[in-house]
Amino acid sequence: MKERFRALDPRLLWVLLALIALGTLTLYSAGRNTVQATIWLKQSVWNLLGLSLMLLLASMDPRRIFRYSFVAYLLGLAALAAVLVVGKKIGGSTRWFSIAGQTFQPSELMKWVTLLYLSQRLGSRNADTVGRLELVGAIGLVVFPMLLIERQPDLGMALSFLPILLIIPLMKGLRARWIVALVLLVLAGGFGAWKFALKPYQKQRVMIFLDPSSDLKKKGYQVNQSKIAIGSGGLIGKGFTSGSQTQLNFLPVKTTDFAFSVWAEERGFLGVLLALGLFGLLMSRILDAARAAHTNPEAYFCAGAAGIFGLHLLVNVGMVAGALPNKGMVLPFFSAGGSSTLSFFLALGLIMGILHRSRVK
Amino acid sequence: MTWSLVGLLVLIYARLQLVRHGELSEQALQQAVKVRPIPAPRGLVLDRNGNRLVDNRRALHLVIQREDLPTKPEVVASLAAALELDPAALTRKIQSYWQAGKGRPLVLKENLDEVGIALAERIRARFPFLSVEVAPRRVYLGDELAGHVLGYVGEVDEQMMKEKHDVFRLGETIGKEGFEASGNDKLKGVDGQKRILVDQLGTEVANFGQADAQTGRSLFLTLDAGLQKVAEDAMGQEAGAVVVLDLRDGGVLAMYSSPSYDPNLFLNRLSQDMVDRYLANNVTRPMVNRAIQGIYAPGSTFKLLIAIAALEKGVITPQTPIFCGGRKNFYGRDFRCDKPTGHGSLNMVQAIAQSCDVYFYELASRMDIDDIYATAEKYGLTERTGIDLPQEKRTRIPSREWKRKAVPRDPKWYAGETISVGIGQGAVGVTPLGLARFYALLATRGKMLTPHLFYGFRDDQTNALEPAAVPAFKDTPLDPKIWSVLAEGLHEVVQSGTAAANPFIREIAKEIPFAGKTGTAQVATFVDKAHYARQAKKLKDHALFAGYAPVDHPQIAFAVVVENAGFGSTAAAPVAAKLVKYWCVDRLTNPLPPPRGRMVDPFAPQQPQEPEASE
Repeated sequence: MKERFRALDPRLLWVLLALIALGTLTLYSAGRNTVQATIWLKQSVWNLLGLSLMLLLASMDPRRIFRYSFVAYLLGLAALAAVLVVGKKIGGSTRWFSIAGQTFQPSELMKWVTLLYLSQRLGSRNADTVGRLELVGAIGLVVFPMLLIERQPDLGMALSFLPILLIIPLMKGLRARWIVALVLLVLAGGFGAWKFALKPYQKQRVMIFLDPSSDLKKKGYQVNQSKIAIGSGGLIGKGFTSGSQTQLNFLPVKTTDFAFSVWAEERGFLGVLLALGLFGLLMSRILDAARAAHTNPEAYFCAGAAGIFGLHLLVNVGMVAGALPNKGMVLPFFSAGGSSTLSFFLALGLIMGILHRSRVK
Repeated sequence: MTWSLVGLLVLIYARLQLVRHGELSEQALQQAVKVRPIPAPRGLVLDRNGNRLVDNRRALHLVIQREDLPTKPEVVASLAAALELDPAALTRKIQSYWQAGKGRPLVLKENLDEVGIALAERIRARFPFLSVEVAPRRVYLGDELAGHVLGYVGEVDEQMMKEKHDVFRLGETIGKEGFEASGNDKLKGVDGQKRILVDQLGTEVANFGQADAQTGRSLFLTLDAGLQKVAEDAMGQEAGAVVVLDLRDGGVLAMYSSPSYDPNLFLNRLSQDMVDRYLANNVTRPMVNRAIQGIYAPGSTFKLLIAIAALEKGVITPQTPIFCGGRKNFYGRDFRCDKPTGHGSLNMVQAIAQSCDVYFYELASRMDIDDIYATAEKYGLTERTGIDLPQEKRTRIPSREWKRKAVPRDPKWYAGETISVGIGQGAVGVTPLGLARFYALLATRGKMLTPHLFYGFRDDQTNALEPAAVPAFKDTPLDPKIWSVLAEGLHEVVQSGTAAANPFIREIAKEIPFAGKTGTAQVATFVDKAHYARQAKKLKDHALFAGYAPVDHPQIAFAVVVENAGFGSTAAAPVAAKLVKYWCVDRLTNPLPPPRGRMVDPFAPQQPQEPEASE
């Protein structure tokens, strides 16, 4: 057992525990005086469960995990297809399996499984001999689950798959034409999505982002209330459990998408600096792991993971401040939710295992 | 890479939390801290003995606070559908509230009962901007007892806002009819204000302090609830009016207009049923206060004015006999007496007692119409009485000038018309109140009182009356010689004359001698009595009785009109006799209990609250 704990990377662990502490305090304050008063306890259970799984994964040889990546990918696709058929419909979207009163969102885990499989597939090849056709195939492997998720519909989740594609410029040596090709792909995808795939509510979100004052009463209302919460927090914040926007329920969906606004209102700019600093440390430690990794698949996985964490941070924290569209992307360790929490911990477990192996040998 | 991402986010937050902090803090404060008005309860209305006529209760209203007014047409439309309101009217109302800025919330449904509260809770899920507000509400304890006198309150309407926008504020509750309207300034309180913390649903979370509402002052009316009840019961199903005046100061002791209405029903939005029953009812016109708005031909009750005019003018002496043969010809036309066989030779006292028409045709023929008008003017019959109620009508006494204006196609006054005026027919029309004041003048030998309802404010410490100044009255003394003739005549009406035929009257007059004059005002002309008997009730004559009591030291003067009831002696005089008996006897020995409506609290929630403004 002691051996197992040695597998945990202390720097990553401390940052992680600090973020969990911040997130738990935030959820306690956000749930106060609402029907979700115990949400911080529920989330703590998920966190403990996640930490245990992380410990388990960290002490395993990463190569064993990579070996199952193809099977996991196929199972993941099957799950995404199945959820469209038998999934539980909540708020107009079919994203969840409902098992014994607990909902589980397969797309959360599928994001990491796709990253795992692509890292394994491309990492085991010689970068110089990889053909273009194969690279297009690799892109297809990422896009296919994205399309399935978009059917749910869950655009935010689908977009959070995009950092996985970073692996390709990474293995090809960050060449300019690959970057240009990627940007073109994103633009074309965005245009195609706007033209054919986007639902009216999604288009509305983009429009509100472009002009938030146009529809204060609907989606723009949420972002506007969030901006008021953050801005009125000022330098030092209004104090724990004393944020008027949070406590008087002006702030919407404050236990999930807008949890960070709660923290920003009650802890102020200094609290924001602390939280963003911790996220920065988290990501730079994951990038350390990418550099230190012994094998290409491990390095690619860590780089992609840093990208995914970075995207969640950028989109969520930027969105609640009104700087990015209201996409509904969760913030790790702040937003309540079982599936996403467990997925983040599983990924971190694998990263710790990679770090451990790089130190041991 | 990592740190440039973090740096970008830090910049975004620095802009919001450091640069825009002040502006966004202001917005946070604005939506969480609200200033809400506290509606002030109106004062209570008591009768002269301190019995409550109008009380206050707590009521729940479904409202929209000013800052939450919906703007989207589709939201307004679905809200109107959910509440069964007219969408166009609701839209107009919301717009006017938008324009008016701060103030009272918009009331969608008032005085919610259990069903209303359940409905409100249900639709609040769909329309979170709705809230339920506690506010004081009026209760009219006597139901129909004094509907026309008390009136009712309601929200100030668009029309009034347009006319007097500097006086009224949108959403304010004001008196709409009766004394609630004319005494609005006396009864209304001063709204308070509170600063409260609200959550996103507008629910009050904390109170930062408030300026309490000042309850309006309670006041006494001159009405006697017991006497008013006697009037209501005596009128029963008949249409008409009763007025009783206090001869000491002109205070109105009773004023009942039949059919009456229940003011409690007018506190809520009118149902179709009520519109049919009250507002669109053109047959009985229950909303008209007949005591001050009904213009009736005074019939024989007008003969006293003719007598005064003739005596003052000197065209006759009280002793001069005039022969009545049942009819008399003036200007080539036969004028009939009520008694076809004729009264024979009569002096003035006998003529009043027997109500001989020929006698008064003769007096009228000796005078000019403008002489009669001048006498009526002198004794206050041509003007409004000036009672403190809204929309009092003016009596109509014809004159040459009047005819020029009123009948432009035939402006000439014919001498034959004066003959009809001699018995209170023709163009003569008086309100029951005006008639009562004239008989009060006869009782007081010439005091022209100003009838009034306001008796005085209530002292808030002792609950005692602080008597208000009695409205000024004019002294127009009657020549004592003239007065004694009239007084004797009026007494004889009850002792041996037209009213004495009724045994009920005789019995009461034995106990309390009172004086008065019967009147029967024609509504239509008939060929003969058999024809009259066959006619529909609505074409029958109006019965009148006016007088004072007791004879020796008069305390009260009264006028009674019973519509389409036939003779004054059979229909109107008994009502007056009951009033006299209650005022002079029963009031002192066996007074009626204070009013208590059949629905003391028709709209209260299941557990009624204590009255808001009790002692």
